[in-house]
Amino acid sequence: MAGTEELIDELSDLALFADLARPELAGVAHTLEEEWYADGQRILREGFSGTGFYILLEGEVAVRIEGQERARLRRGAFFGEAAILLGEPPGADVVAAGRVRVVHVAGPALHEFLMRHPNVMFRMLQEQTRRLRSANRWAR
Amino acid sequence: MGEVDARPFPPGDYPLVVVGSGPGGIQVSYSLRRLGVDHALISADEAPGGMFRRFPFFQRLLSWTKPYAPVPRGSRAYERYDWNSLIGEEPSHRAIQPEFMDGTSEFPSRPEMEAQLAEFVRRAALPIRYGCLWEATRRDGDRFVLETSDGEYRCGLVVFAVGVAEPFTPEMPGRELVAHYVDTRDPETYAGRRLFIVGKQNSGFELASGLLHWASRIVLASPRPAKLSVETNSLAGIRARYVQPIEDRFMGGGVYILNASIEGVERAGDVLRVRTRATDGGMDLAIEADEVIAATGFVAPLRDLPALGVATFGPSRLPAQTPYWESASLAGIYFAGTINMGSPGLKKNGVAGTGAVHGTRFNARILAREIAERHFGVVAPRPALAPRDVVGYLLEEATDAPELWNQKGYLARAVLFGADGPYDEGIVPLQAFVDGSGPDGVAIGLEGDSEGVIRPAAYVRRKGAVSEVMLDPDPLNEFRGSSDGRARLTAALEGLLR
Amino acid sequence: MTMTVAERAALLSRVTLFAGLPEASLQALAELAGEAEFGDGDAIVLQGQVGTGLFVIVAGAARVVRGGEELDRLGPGDYLGELAVIDRMPRMASVFAVGPTTCLALASWDLFRRVDGDPELVHSLLRGLALRVRHLSEHHSH
Ligand SMILES: Cc1cc2nc3c(=O)[nH]c(=O)nc-3n(C[C@H](O)[C@H](O)[C@H](O)COP(=O)(O)OP(=O)(O)OC[C@H]3O[C@@H](n4cnc5c(N)ncnc54)[C@H](O)[C@@H]3O)c2cc1C
Repeated sequence: MAGTEELIDELSDLALFADLARPELAGVAHTLEEEWYADGQRILREGFSGTGFYILLEGEVAVRIEGQERARLRRGAFFGEAAILLGEPPGADVVAAGRVRVVHVAGPALHEFLMRHPNVMFRMLQEQTRRLRSANRWAR
Repeated sequence: MGEVDARPFPPGDYPLVVVGSGPGGIQVSYSLRRLGVDHALISADEAPGGMFRRFPFFQRLLSWTKPYAPVPRGSRAYERYDWNSLIGEEPSHRAIQPEFMDGTSEFPSRPEMEAQLAEFVRRAALPIRYGCLWEATRRDGDRFVLETSDGEYRCGLVVFAVGVAEPFTPEMPGRELVAHYVDTRDPETYAGRRLFIVGKQNSGFELASGLLHWASRIVLASPRPAKLSVETNSLAGIRARYVQPIEDRFMGGGVYILNASIEGVERAGDVLRVRTRATDGGMDLAIEADEVIAATGFVAPLRDLPALGVATFGPSRLPAQTPYWESASLAGIYFAGTINMGSPGLKKNGVAGTGAVHGTRFNARILAREIAERHFGVVAPRPALAPRDVVGYLLEEATDAPELWNQKGYLARAVLFGADGPYDEGIVPLQAFVDGSGPDGVAIGLEGDSEGVIRPAAYVRRKGAVSEVMLDPDPLNEFRGSSDGRARLTAALEGLLR
Repeated sequence: MTMTVAERAALLSRVTLFAGLPEASLQALAELAGEAEFGDGDAIVLQGQVGTGLFVIVAGAARVVRGGEELDRLGPGDYLGELAVIDRMPRMASVFAVGPTTCLALASWDLFRRVDGDPELVHSLLRGLALRVRHLSEHHSH
């Protein structure tokens, strides 16, 4: 439980948590598990079941499909939720590009986490909408 | 059993130094010695046992040793039912814990655990330098220098098995009024007192359970709702042993459980007042208590290692580790024991490798083998397997292997396919297998799925790409005879079983 | 023209975004949705303006225009602003009524007001979008 004050500060800077007051943010910080990855380590693995939801705190990750880099994500980005929501393994590897620190919600705990923090979920929905727009320029 | 030098390993030059005489340090040193790797073992303590010389306070462990198991005592398969004995290579070094239990519980008492660890050290005649405190660390070229209370140790490699038992209390106004879990007194001194416990993890609930019939009122508070192990289907969460306070709370028995952050503690006359802020939309409260105890966890006592380049993360300030428990940021520094939680593994469905003895004793043996091979050229044999036996062997391991059962989703049995056919690679960290390169191969482990149902999981590596093959569960966890498992594995290994 | 809540819910359920919604959530949205009347040539939305809502055409028709060029024609049951209701991004095209036109309108702030009280609604929307993103990216990579 140590050091969660710093984590709360860090989270409060991220767009995803912009709507949360400090006590709720404290609850979130205690629910999330921190993880650290070295350069080249895989965080999500294409085709593996049982994955989690991740929010990037430090560093960059590469999204790779069949070994080919498709995107880069930076601080504040999140990933892994689609596989859990859809109940399917991830369609891509997510690999640390340099040292990376993330916070994590386990797949089976994600639904409850989102239900508890609907504002966070709405922010995710907005981001997801942007992804859909960029994936499909003709979206109305 | 030879004579053991009372103060072996004086300061000086060693290829490798192990620090710590808890279960982690003892197991890794024992396994290194078996492999003939020369090293020193030093510890600040005066006797073996590590944390178990003091904790858990209420004197019974969370980890079982079942006196009556479906397999013979002392066999490899028995290790799955005996979570506390260290892993010996000779009959007299094996399954020591049940010899030291009085039969009143399958959970050994703290002194029984301590006695078992001391007996293991005695029977194995394991030399340990006690009363030697590691104080600081520096580099000297490609070697390390450990400065200790006895003098300097120079070495190429270090294994830190220093535990995760340094008390931690978060910063808050009035922190000096708050005791820590480690300061807990004899239970009768809490008679009739109102307690406020900060923290809702096992140590908080251990205190609440132990003091339930002494304290007049117990409030447990922390920002996050308590999770039970029977809900998470894993060792993460409040263990079944400690749920009595939760039942009392529902029955109105003077136990209160709040989801709130602690804003501060102040003195109000003879008593303390704790200001809490709800994290779940509930009320903010000021609660009076006679004692406030922080069960807010422990950190790894890494001293100056972060300054030397050891990356740490998370609330317990664990060192980030590779799948083989080497510092992820500083080569040559390894970790053993409960501090291995800094290498959580694949964490499928959120389940990390365990930091308790039943899992980390196997990590330590694998670590010893890895160090012996990588740094000392002592290569373990890899027995050849007949191609037609591979599938049966994997299912056999899924049924019985204690490493797979006690480190689910974390340790696996690997069989590799070389130019001369399949061979047994041994028990390996699953993450090392799925993310590593190497010849084609298969690794099998056990995993709880999202509902907590245990299944064998196989990973097949072909030309560097690894695919997952989840096998069906069995109501009695008997995978050996599974015709479906056999068929699925055979299909997954098509073309490799030659 | 006044529609019953059930009629509005039926119209909203045609919007892909709402396809997976539980009945109760759909009803709640239908209660928030209002009706808007447009005369011939009126702008329903204008290119470059921040999107503030979703429109489903109940009666009448509309033209989708970008940079002076007509891209599409819409009729009863068609909708626009499906994503704008969530992310309030500037409109990529203008839409003008063709003849007297009635729309069912759902404002982004009304949707946002539902978030706290109906997290399942947001969850269903999130899941639906995840599915669409996945289909699109699978499409692109094959
Ligand atoms: C309250 C509590 C209850 C627990 N209950 C259980 C349980 O029931 N079952 C279970 O399996 N696990 C339990 N655990 C986890 C437990 O900590 C480990 O299983 C086990 O003790 C870890 O062994 P270790 O060797 O890694 O560390 P420890 O047992 O903590 O040993 C650390 C060793 O390192 C030495 N050391 C530390 N710093 C220095 C230094 N600077 N210089 C020299 N020596 C040093 C110490 O003196 C000690 O010998 C519990 C943990 C806690 C906190």
